[in-house]
Order: sequence, then C-alpha cells, then structure tokens
Amino acid sequence: MEIIQKFGLEAKLFLFQLANFLIIVFILKKFLFAPLRKMLDERKRKIEQSLIDAENAKVALDNAALERKKILSEAKVNADKLTSSLKVAIEEEKQKASLEARNQSLAILDEAKHQAGLEFDNISKQLGKMSIDLSEKVLTKVLSGLFSEEEKQKLMSRALEKIDEKITN
Amino acid sequence: MQISPDILFSIGGFSVTNTVVATLITDVVIIVLVMLVAKKVSLKPKGVQNAVEAIIDYFRETTETIAGNRASFIYPWVVSFFLFIVISNLVAQIPGFESIRFHSLSSGEHGVPLLRAATSDLNLTLALAVTSVVTTHFLSIKHTGVKGYLTRFFSFKMFPVFLFVGALEFVNEIAKFISFSFRLFGNIFAGEKVMATMYGMCSFGLPLPFIALELMVALIQAIVFAMLTMAFMHIMTEQSH
Repeated sequence: MEIIQKFGLEAKLFLFQLANFLIIVFILKKFLFAPLRKMLDERKRKIEQSLIDAENAKVALDNAALERKKILSEAKVNADKLTSSLKVAIEEEKQKASLEARNQSLAILDEAKHQAGLEFDNISKQLGKMSIDLSEKVLTKVLSGLFSEEEKQKLMSRALEKIDEKITN
Repeated sequence: MQISPDILFSIGGFSVTNTVVATLITDVVIIVLVMLVAKKVSLKPKGVQNAVEAIIDYFRETTETIAGNRASFIYPWVVSFFLFIVISNLVAQIPGFESIRFHSLSSGEHGVPLLRAATSDLNLTLALAVTSVVTTHFLSIKHTGVKGYLTRFFSFKMFPVFLFVGALEFVNEIAKFISFSFRLFGNIFAGEKVMATMYGMCSFGLPLPFIALELMVALIQAIVFAMLTMAFMHIMTEQSH
C-alpha cells in the first residue's frame, strides 16, 4: 500500500486516464482514421483507374501507330503503282507522238519532193523552151550566111527534132 | 524525491494533478490535429495531412507485414497509442513544464509545478497498459474464439508440459501490465529529473544535449509501446496450434 501511495496511484485518477485515453481512441478512429482510410481507398481506386486508363491509352496509341504504318505502306504501294502506270502512259504517249511526228515529217518530205519534182519539171521545160529559142536564134544567126534557105530549114527542123527528143527523154 | 504527481486543486473529490493538466493539453493538441486533418483531407495531401498520413501509413504497412489481413483492426490501436504517447512526451519538452509554479493552500513556499509530463504519472501509463492488454485479450477472444483463447492458458496436451506453459503465459500476461506501465513511466520520469538537475546546474547550454536526448526518448518510448502492442495483438489473435 505504501508503494502504491508513493507512486501516486489513485483509482479516480487511473479511471480518468483510462476513460480519457478511450475517448481519444474513439475520436481518432471516428474522425481521423475513418476519413483518411476512405480518402486513401479513393486515392488507391483513382490510381488503379489511372493505370488502367494509361494502359488503354498505350494500347490505343500502339494501334494508331500500326494503323498509321499500314496506311502509309498502302499509300506507298498505291503511289508506286500510279508512278509506274504513269511512266508507261508517258512512254506510250512519247512513242505515239514520235511516230506521228515521223509520219508527218515523212509526209512533208514526200510532199516537198513531189513539189520539187514538179518545180524541176516545170523549170526543165522552161529551160528547154528557152534553149530551143536560143538555139533557134543562134542557128539563125550562124547559119544565115552559110546555108541556103532550104538547107537552113532542113537543119533547123532536124535540130529542133533532136532537142525535142532530148527534152522528152 | 517525490514520485507521485502534485495535486493542484480538487473538484468534487477528484484531485486535479499537474499530470492531469498535461493530459488535457495533450488531448487538445490531438483534437486540434484531428480537426486540421479531417477538415482539409484531400486526395492531394499537403501540410499536416502529409505528416499524419506518413505516420499512419508507416504503422499500417508495418502491421500488414507482421499480421497480414488482421492489420485492419490492429493498426488503429497501434497508431492511437503512438500518437497519444509521442504527443504527450513532446508536449512535456515545451518550456514551462516543471518550471512554472502553482501556489495553493496546501503547497509549500515555492509552490508546485503547474505542468508535469503526463507519462511521468503511473496512473496514465498503467491506464495505457491496461487498455493495451485488455484490448489484446478482447481481440484474441473475438478472433480465435473462447476455446482458442482458453487453450493458450489451459491445455492438457503432453500433460503437464503445456499446463506449465499455460501458467507461464498467464504470468507473462500479468507481467505485461508492469512492464508496459513502468517502462514508459520510468523513462519519462527519469528524463524529467535529469532535465531538472541540468537546468538547476546551469540553465544555458548545458541542458541542450539532454533536450535532444529527451526528444529521442520521447519518440523511442512511443514506438516501443506501439510496436509491443502490435506484436502482442498479432500473437494473441493468431490461431494457436
């Protein structure tokens, strides 16, 4: 008993301290642990949801990247096809144009040759006529003193015949 | 040397001691802390919520590591013991404890200290010990059943070995009251006396290392009490083999 008195143990004080601590425990449980636990659970739920969302976003991003790659490869294939068909078309068009140009040039050449031939014939005829006239005049001048009128006529007519033959040949 | 707390005044036969006043100050600090946290509890913690969350998280995780899914009902008790003891011990380090004197009709010429560390009162430490042990036994009966609880103390397996072990367990449970209450009381009371001696020898400079020591003791004793409670609750709520 003396020891208890020395340490100041007293039933009322002991019960007061016991009740006081139990009240504090009740306050802590009710007003601190409960809201904090609720908030921690909410935070945990949000973090888990965020992780799921992030995972979904990653999958969507991967899918989008794959889709993009697919579209790009398809576009490349299409572009290659278009380029090759365009090249063929250009080549065909080029050949066609070249052929047309060749034909046109040949036609022009033929026409020019034909025109030149006609011109040449015309000039030849003119020249023949001119040479006949000239020969006639020359012969007339040259032969007027040497031959009689009859011989002149004979020579002249023979010469003209020969010239005509040559011209016609 | 006086071990018992000093009576300041009485209200209806109830003696209000300086440790009771310190206990009430501790209560006020805890209630203010609860109000601060509960009022501003948010998903993005800041300020005091961070500190309280860190303490609660530490004890919850430690209890989960030791007791697994039984942590849900063990850790609130562990945190409660820790917060009450650590705040009570730290409040006692505020200047004015032991030095501010109170004069009453029964006190002597120099009066008595108005404030004294709450945990330097055996009434409080014994109340905490009783709460810890009784709660542990209550949880043991609740989670292992009456039969499971009683077989810890009375078992005729391998007679008389387990009967003797049960008797030792019983003595151990009684010893818990003494070890819990006197460990905390002794450490804090001795610390107070050391501080009073140091202040008496030289008030400037000399008490500084002892203040640091007392802060450490305040924290360590709170952790020891909380951890032992956790360990005992874990052991007593486990199914005995």
